[in-house]
Amino acid sequence: MVKEENELVNRPDNTAFTQQRLPAWQPMLSAGIIIPGFVLIGLAFIGIGVALLITSRSIQVLELDYTGEDQDSPCFRCSDPAVRNCTCTLQFSNDRLIEGPVFFYYGLSNYFQNYRRYGVSRDDGQLYGDLSYFKEPYDQCEPYRFGGGNNQPIVPCGSIANSMFNDTFRLFQNINGQRREVPLDGKGIAWWTDYNIKFRNPTVTPLRDAFNGTVKPPFWPRPAYELDTSDPANNGFINQDFLVWMRTAALPDFRKLYRRITEGDYANGLPAGNYSLDISYNYPVMSFSGRKRVVFSNVSWMGGKNEFLGIAYLVIGTLCIVMSVVMLIVYAKFKFPEEE
Amino acid sequence: MSHKITESKGVFCVLAVRSVHFQKQFVVFFIMDKDSAESGLTWQVRANQRCYHKKQQKKSFLGFRWGRCSDNKICSHKYTFFTFIPLTLFEQFQRAANLYFLFMIALQCVPIIASIQWYVSIIPLLLVLSVRGAKDLINDMARRRSDSEVNSRPCDVLISQSFSTEQWKDLCVGDIVRIHKDQTVPADIVLLCSSEPHSLSYVETVDIDGETNLKCRQALAATHHQLTSEPSERTLADFDGVVFCEEPDDAMYSFRGQLHWRGERFLLDIQHLLLRGTVLRNTLTAYGLVVYTGTDTKILRNCGKLRAKRTRLENSLNKAVIGIVLFLLSAVLLLAVGCGVFTSRVMTRTEFFSALIINGDPVYTGFLVYWSYFILLSPAVPIMLYVTFEMIHTYHSKFINWDLEMYWAQTDSPAQAQCTSLCEELGQVEYLLSDKTGTLTQNRLLFRQCCIAGEIYGDSSTKAEDVEPMDLSWNPFSCGGLFMWAPTLVERLRAQPCPTVKRFFTALSVCHTVMVQWKEDAPVYQATSPDEETLVGAARELGWVFMSRTRDSIVVSEMGVTRQYKVLALLDFTSQRRRMSILVREPEGALKLYCKGADIVILERLQRHCPHQESVEQALELFSQACLRTLCIAVRSVSETSWEQWSQTLTRAAAMPTFDRNALLERVYDEMERDLLLLGVTAIEDRLQEGVPETISLVKQAGIKVWVLTGDKKETAVNIGYACKLLDPDTKLLEWQELRQILQSPDPGGHFQKIRQTDLWAVEKDKAGVQTAVVLTGPELTEFEQRPEWGAKFMSLAQQCQTVLCCRVTPGQKADIVTLVKKHTSSITLSIGDGANDVNMIKTAHVGVGLAGVEGGQAVQNADFSLSRFRYLQRLLLVHGRWSYRRISLFLRYFLFKTCSFALVHLWFGIFNGYSAQSMYETWFIALYTTFYTSSQILFVAFFEKDVSAETSLMWPELYKCGQKQELSKPLVLFTSLFYALYTSFVLFFIPCGVYYNTAVDYQTMAVTVSMAAVFTATIEIVLVTRNWTKFNVGSVCLSLLLYFICSRITHSKFLFQRAPADYLFYGASDEAFADPVVWLTALLTALTAVLPSMTSLALSVIRTAHNNHKVHIMCHQPVEMRSHT
Repeated sequence: MVKEENELVNRPDNTAFTQQRLPAWQPMLSAGIIIPGFVLIGLAFIGIGVALLITSRSIQVLELDYTGEDQDSPCFRCSDPAVRNCTCTLQFSNDRLIEGPVFFYYGLSNYFQNYRRYGVSRDDGQLYGDLSYFKEPYDQCEPYRFGGGNNQPIVPCGSIANSMFNDTFRLFQNINGQRREVPLDGKGIAWWTDYNIKFRNPTVTPLRDAFNGTVKPPFWPRPAYELDTSDPANNGFINQDFLVWMRTAALPDFRKLYRRITEGDYANGLPAGNYSLDISYNYPVMSFSGRKRVVFSNVSWMGGKNEFLGIAYLVIGTLCIVMSVVMLIVYAKFKFPEEE
Repeated sequence: MSHKITESKGVFCVLAVRSVHFQKQFVVFFIMDKDSAESGLTWQVRANQRCYHKKQQKKSFLGFRWGRCSDNKICSHKYTFFTFIPLTLFEQFQRAANLYFLFMIALQCVPIIASIQWYVSIIPLLLVLSVRGAKDLINDMARRRSDSEVNSRPCDVLISQSFSTEQWKDLCVGDIVRIHKDQTVPADIVLLCSSEPHSLSYVETVDIDGETNLKCRQALAATHHQLTSEPSERTLADFDGVVFCEEPDDAMYSFRGQLHWRGERFLLDIQHLLLRGTVLRNTLTAYGLVVYTGTDTKILRNCGKLRAKRTRLENSLNKAVIGIVLFLLSAVLLLAVGCGVFTSRVMTRTEFFSALIINGDPVYTGFLVYWSYFILLSPAVPIMLYVTFEMIHTYHSKFINWDLEMYWAQTDSPAQAQCTSLCEELGQVEYLLSDKTGTLTQNRLLFRQCCIAGEIYGDSSTKAEDVEPMDLSWNPFSCGGLFMWAPTLVERLRAQPCPTVKRFFTALSVCHTVMVQWKEDAPVYQATSPDEETLVGAARELGWVFMSRTRDSIVVSEMGVTRQYKVLALLDFTSQRRRMSILVREPEGALKLYCKGADIVILERLQRHCPHQESVEQALELFSQACLRTLCIAVRSVSETSWEQWSQTLTRAAAMPTFDRNALLERVYDEMERDLLLLGVTAIEDRLQEGVPETISLVKQAGIKVWVLTGDKKETAVNIGYACKLLDPDTKLLEWQELRQILQSPDPGGHFQKIRQTDLWAVEKDKAGVQTAVVLTGPELTEFEQRPEWGAKFMSLAQQCQTVLCCRVTPGQKADIVTLVKKHTSSITLSIGDGANDVNMIKTAHVGVGLAGVEGGQAVQNADFSLSRFRYLQRLLLVHGRWSYRRISLFLRYFLFKTCSFALVHLWFGIFNGYSAQSMYETWFIALYTTFYTSSQILFVAFFEKDVSAETSLMWPELYKCGQKQELSKPLVLFTSLFYALYTSFVLFFIPCGVYYNTAVDYQTMAVTVSMAAVFTATIEIVLVTRNWTKFNVGSVCLSLLLYFICSRITHSKFLFQRAPADYLFYGASDEAFADPVVWLTALLTALTAVLPSMTSLALSVIRTAHNNHKVHIMCHQPVEMRSHT
């Protein structure tokens, strides 16, 4: 017996793996599965599409351009880069209540925040509050790494910080000729992780001492530690407007959250009426044919208004249905001659 | 045979006094050196002069080598502890793909153009390098182990008057060694003497050529007499001969040298040489002089010639990769131009951005962006593909080795894929060129009939098993195995046979090269050629028993009378000569030349008016109609004077340098083999292997054209053709005359039609083409060489014919036919054969298959695949080949698709980010996508995928045609999948872009969305590709998806961000994104839109082939046996 086994030393193992007989599931595809499958996918997509579209339609959006390109627009005067500290007022009205909470965005067009060398031009070490980077900023910050007369390090360094959006807005409701300011809530507009972890002020009090020996970014009117002197929790690197700006946009046309309207009488939304928006117009966009706008919108489970997604779902869903009809025809063509 | 040369110059050497021997010897050496150098014998070996040879040994230091002969230490391993890393890196960076990625990494280290981090490319590259490096290292360790095992084998070496055991590696040229029975010979050794009579020794060469029969070697008579007379150590230690021989070469079957000893010269040839690796058998001890050691030995010179065959699919893959690179280069150029324009038009006007223009120069910025995009798009070039490809090939060949259904238990031999890179080629074969003998037939030969002096004995119409055994009890040596019913012959033999019958059997028992071993008082014959074994065996059964052989004599017991024949010359068999002869001195003193060979060569050498010639020719025809192999036996009486003359010519010819010698010898042999007297014909049956007709019909149904190339006669070949269903009973044979007319006519196709339409051909007009077979013979084929323009015509004709039979072809012509097919069609050819004569065609064809048969192992050693039975070919081609082709094609297409679709997204994103080479993905995702998220699933598809089971593949051989038409790997198909990848990349970018345009969504969220969509797309696509879901497939698909989410969470984690904020910027992005329904909905929509074309085409193909598939699958549920008799 032993000898026999020895004689067959080269006999391959008889296992499922070596004999390629691993137990396996072989889905039997047939027209009976595929065509209903396509119909099902199509119907599901149409369903999602309709739901998205309905949701999207229920979202109210008020979008106002204030670039001031046209001569008759209120901000035309301010759009001249030579004019400094310019303020203009935008009048608008809404016919019906925009249900709260209302989100107040500013929007920019033709602005390439996703430009690669712009996007990397920041120093996360600095923004994390690490003082060693205050002296020697990250070299990707060039050309906004060192500046000022003595070539001191710029804090916060880099293009993104330097180009921070600095228009400010105040919203008033005109009630019987009276301007009533709408309270704007600037808390919690940035990502939680950005506000709590990614960005951090140096643990130096007062904050300004940490910035000794550094200069502010060249385009900034005031240094980082003076971004919001009233609230230390909104000052320095954890200033919410700064955080929103630093989270760079995906595409050249984008919005960024400016404020939320959640307080007082406006907690339920912006009632119908006339409004005026005081804009402190600082940010130049005309040179690169950019556009600036403000957007008031409420949100749903899917965020802001988004028609594209719903329509795309509908289109693809319909396409699936059309496909299944085509398949049915093909199937019939191949099937029936045989049955005859 | 030793030829002593009397030598005028050496006279004074003989006279030399012993005391001045040394000085004189120097002079002699000088003279002899000159002589020897002229005849090419420049390798000098002095016996027992270790220190002289030690000095000449090769040494090396820092890569410089000097010295003449190598030591006996083999060193097949490449790496040492220190050299492994540099050497393996050096080897691997010789591959273009690796070098390309190294270049990428170098680019990524330039900060100004580094669009993605350096680790993105280094992770896949490191993976590739380490996988290959580990594989090489493991192989090398195994080699190192086997090296040290071999190097430390013991061997008895004569050192200062006594033998002591040394290790193989310490052996040196000039040493005298003692080899015991069953020991392996440690180096190439000239046999000096042995313990056997006449210093014969037997060696087994199974490790060298796979032949299991023993070979006989014999020492020179001079050394035999001088060195065996006294106590061996003393005489051997005093042996001071000098061997002059050829420089080391790789000719396994030739050796030429001279032994200069005691003033005389003795010729040495391969008969005196024991090769390294052979095993001494049946010989107690043998003593020899080491002439070649280590890498100089013949066997090692023959090693390491690996042929790298590249498959058709690999070629198209390479083209596809080059295509991708070229496409990238042009796309990158466009993007760079775009960047230049954007920079000068937009950036210069934006104060926030103008500072970012490098050096303020748009052109320079564009130039740098060119390189940045080059880096960014480099993942589209599939670097992992090559290493994965190799892995898959290895596994596919393992599956072939493991297949129990191709395992032949009788000889304990599984199928073997020796060349691991040709598996998918097996699925595309269009021409099967097969040898006949031993391939289609068993090569288990049975002596069935003979014709002696015009009288035919035996009957081949009864089957061999049904033959009533004859009563041979009168013969004490009979051991059975004769399947012939010829009582008249036996009667005649037992009474007083006529001289022709006697001579006929004497010829059978004398004219051969068979070795005999006695086991339990019965002779066991071992022969290189199975024909000889059968003939000698048949002669033994009938009373002419071959008893023993020495170098100079053969002992035969003829009906109980022992007679010794003195062998004067052996004119050996070659495939060119197709005959062998032996010149013997009979005990009575007469000289006789016995000759046996193929009929045409013998018949043209007969003496005039040879008796029985006509009846023998009739017998030949009869035999070949019965598919029997025939050999003609003839004899010639040689006069003493002509022998004297001829032997002198022979001696002269034998001393010639190799290249002239063979031609000259052939002429000399020819002179002797003349005026033969025909004795008779033997007829041997070679039965078809089991399952051959079934296999051939199956393979023909699979669209493979089967051609038979054989050295046999036309009639035999045609009969075999009918027997194995290659030809139908109503097939018309198109022979040379008609073929020639067709080929000569200006319009061969038309002429062919015309010929077919004549009454002769057109039995069924429309089917005539299918029912035609071309029969060619070797001499006719030589005309093709003169008329190269016939090749194309012939091939177009042959494509319309059922089959082509080529008979009487030489090994060289077999290879020429393969070359002809390869040249005039683009098809894959497969050659299958079992003998040394098939080696040429096996090497020439795209795929060579060797059958491990009776005829030794040369075919197997040179083949890419080796099988034990012809019928296993159906499984090798229709199952393994088909699966392998399908798996590898799917793998290739998927791989190209996944890498391109993922990387080309950057093209579209470029339009929206100012052509700034911004990456659409987090850098870690790019690194992990190819290595983690999308590699294992396709690997398992490439291992386990099967569309139909093995049984179904054999049931429906038509399924094989898919591979022949390259349906899955045509350039168009590859182009389509690349185009599909482009479409997918378009969708991957533009749907998220549409959703996120003018919203508050930030870049990182979009990046997560797109990467999620890319992973979903790759996963859905693999789900569509996989038809055979094993647990591995399911596991890897689930795991890869899971891995994506886990790795995203890890690379976006707080922990990593806090340690390296610049490398883990995406902290928090997946927290937000994975919680956002819009991200999920977008990714889902994107992925589904991306795979919609592939889903639709799959659905349409399922619906269109629903009917056929249904049939196939219904059939699968019935148990199907492999089509053969087993």
